[in-house]
Amino acid sequence: MGEILKTINLTKNFGGLSAVVDVNFVVKKGDLQSIIGPNGAGKSTFFKLITGELEPTRGQIIFFNKDITSLPQTAISHLGIAVSYQITNIFPMLTVFENVRVAVQSRKTTFNLWSKAISHKEFVEQTRHILEQINLSDFKDEIAANLSHGHQKRLEIGIALATQPKLLLLDEPTAGLSPMETRQTIELIKKIAQDLTIILVEHKMKVVMEVSDRITVLHYGKLLAQGTPDEIRNNEEVRRVYLGGVKI
Amino acid sequence: MIGRLTMKETGIGETFGLGNRELRVEKVGWWQRLVELVSRNPLVFIFIFFIIFPFVVPYKALATQIIIWGLFALGYNVCLGYTGMLSFGHAAYFGIGAYTAGIVLIRLWQNIWFSLLCGLLMGGITAFILGYLCIKRRGIYFAMLTLAFAQLLYFVGFQWVDLTGGDNGLRNIPAVPLSIFGLSINIYTPLRFYFFVLVFVASSLLAINRILQSPFGHVLQAVRENDQRAKSCGYETSNVRWMAFVISGAISGLAGGLYALYLHFVGIESLYWTTSGQVVMMTLLGGMGSFIGPFIGAGVFLYIEDTLSVITPNWMIFLGPVFVLCVLFFPAGIWGTIKDLSTRRRK
Amino acid sequence: MEWTAIVMQLFTGLSLGMLYVLLALGLSIIFGLLTVVNFAHGAMYMWGAFAGAATIAITGNFWLALVISPLVIGGYGLIIERGLIRPLYGRDINYPLLLTFGLQFIMIEIIRIFWGTSDQPFSAPASLSMPLEIFGVFYFPSYRLFLIGITVVICIVLWIFLEKTNLGLVIRAGTRDPLMVRALGIDMRRIWWLVFGIGSALAGIAGVLAAPIRSVFPEMGIAMLVECFVVVVVGGMGSLKGAILSGIIMGEASSITTLFYPQMADIVIFLVMAVVLLIRPSGLFGKAGLLE
Repeated sequence: MGEILKTINLTKNFGGLSAVVDVNFVVKKGDLQSIIGPNGAGKSTFFKLITGELEPTRGQIIFFNKDITSLPQTAISHLGIAVSYQITNIFPMLTVFENVRVAVQSRKTTFNLWSKAISHKEFVEQTRHILEQINLSDFKDEIAANLSHGHQKRLEIGIALATQPKLLLLDEPTAGLSPMETRQTIELIKKIAQDLTIILVEHKMKVVMEVSDRITVLHYGKLLAQGTPDEIRNNEEVRRVYLGGVKI
Repeated sequence: MIGRLTMKETGIGETFGLGNRELRVEKVGWWQRLVELVSRNPLVFIFIFFIIFPFVVPYKALATQIIIWGLFALGYNVCLGYTGMLSFGHAAYFGIGAYTAGIVLIRLWQNIWFSLLCGLLMGGITAFILGYLCIKRRGIYFAMLTLAFAQLLYFVGFQWVDLTGGDNGLRNIPAVPLSIFGLSINIYTPLRFYFFVLVFVASSLLAINRILQSPFGHVLQAVRENDQRAKSCGYETSNVRWMAFVISGAISGLAGGLYALYLHFVGIESLYWTTSGQVVMMTLLGGMGSFIGPFIGAGVFLYIEDTLSVITPNWMIFLGPVFVLCVLFFPAGIWGTIKDLSTRRRK
Repeated sequence: MEWTAIVMQLFTGLSLGMLYVLLALGLSIIFGLLTVVNFAHGAMYMWGAFAGAATIAITGNFWLALVISPLVIGGYGLIIERGLIRPLYGRDINYPLLLTFGLQFIMIEIIRIFWGTSDQPFSAPASLSMPLEIFGVFYFPSYRLFLIGITVVICIVLWIFLEKTNLGLVIRAGTRDPLMVRALGIDMRRIWWLVFGIGSALAGIAGVLAAPIRSVFPEMGIAMLVECFVVVVVGGMGSLKGAILSGIIMGEASSITTLFYPQMADIVIFLVMAVVLLIRPSGLFGKAGLLE
């Protein structure tokens, strides 16, 4: 199958510090590709380069054969890349329903001043569908700030899904979750991975090994290894520098 | 039993096999029900109240003044309360609206509708131009820039004596009768003028209500809540803020136009920064982000001014501390605090 | 027009610029460290002038006023920071701004109650009232020379304080990374407190220095505050270098325009600001995104 996203020699320096160095990275359509690496390996920076929040020092980002390097964040969002943030990044004082609905609507309209938002049936339908998907239908009228951390993280994913992305970036979706909530989130990821290409950054190895089709290992901003979960598990170098020699 | 049903997520429920929901019934007082009723249907309440309003204030002109300033604060609130932009330069749009309406009546066409329309448009256009320069910066920068540009317009108004009358103000705005369906009505009795203004206040309220419930209105609130996230959802947030700023400027311009008709005069201080300051204080005192807050703020402010200025010219010495205390202890303003109190759960 | 007149006007512009510099520096260090825009800065400047006037009324000594006024206003700043602004840290960035905005109305009203609304007499000390003759063509008012000189001295002292002392180091580090400084075990609240005091004292001394060349009245700080905002925005928020350069530019711009086209004198600095913003949105020395 075709490549959705490709980075060519992608590099980002902060002053003297190199956060991402010459990363060549490919995601194929339909894959769930994970990025792992110790803290400070450049994973979050890598995400921010793809979403346009940061501008790369050099290198290229190709999305569906289109060069999206240095495009503004909004343009990249409209091309179909969505991100679910590590630090919960929702609209706190809006209801759960509104949180998702606003994101759904972003595909169609911004300056529609005179129709009633509720009268847009397709937005409402889509929102309902997503709330069901992330299992928050029961909380739709709750103010988002009042949700538990676990629910907020799911809402976070919901907002990303609502923009109907072709590629979804998940930044540590299970951080700070209880084992039970982690389980639910894994199921959710598996479910949405069926018809969506996903890049996942995650610390919990168990999660990564369970859901990934392919894994990329970053180490000090450099690409260390790439392969299937099994290949990564058996990769000597990865075990040495990253996992401290422990077998997973 | 009259009560409110609240659902609360708790861990205890599970042990008792209730799912994780707990039902609780609270007793609520009449005033809490009133507050809830009002905050659910603010428009209905405001309309009913404003029909009675001129008959309960000390004199009718004060009522007119309160709803004109309330309208201005309402427009300001689109900026501060619904989009989260702290502007210190709304005198610019109010003042421009007032001067435009006055100048149109004096020189161009003695038609009230047209003069107010021009006031509204010029308020919006000015906000469009200055917005372009201010909107890219947020927070403190925005506050300082809006103030600086408003001060620029003040100086321009001050110097351009031929057009504005400079320091003497724009005098002798004609009391043109209102023409409607071929009829010509004199609106310059206190009560008639009040209801004339109320028509515009009511239409503006309906319009803003409509805008806030539109898809765009929801984007506004999303931008206020989390600009960065709105951006990553694909919204061009600076354009969204710009649009809100223009709407806010247009309503301020309309309020300014009405004020010019009310006084038959436009003073240079309408462009001065004290005017901007006054609308900031009213909105904060009343409570931002609601329909009712700005009107309560305008009412309280003008009523205190009206009462105290008889006693002392230094009435700000009372209002200043009220404002400071409000910022320190009641950032939600009068209406916001009432609402908080009424929904606070009993311990 | 005679070239000597232009030189004289440039000189006047420089002395006005010095007032801008003093006020903008105060605003800038308070902002840079506390992220508080002090809307009461203009009122503090006005209080500085009145405190000076009061000192002179009692003692008849300008030099004493020059010392007492910044001390009084600096002390007042310390009280305000501790009592009113500190409770607002951690809340939305707009609240300290709104608070100081309300505060200035109170400050202006207090002066109106005790001094009335008319101008207060305030003359330069006799020793500085004679113009200084240079080459037989220039007659520089010696008070303005003094004003320029003392501002330069204050800037140098401030620079040495910030660059060469340990406390200054902490303040500069705090501007960049408050978390880091806290990690070093330094109580940032103390530092913030002190900085607010220093900024206020700068406003106080600017008030006394301005008094002999501008009129002293309760609203004198309002226009000045807005002009200083313009200076700070053009210089780049939080940049001391920017504040100094932009203060001088704005003083000159306003002064030269007065000579050629007096109607535009009040307006020109806003036009300069609009142009700078269009070309460099974050000001001459500003870092983008600092305030967002």
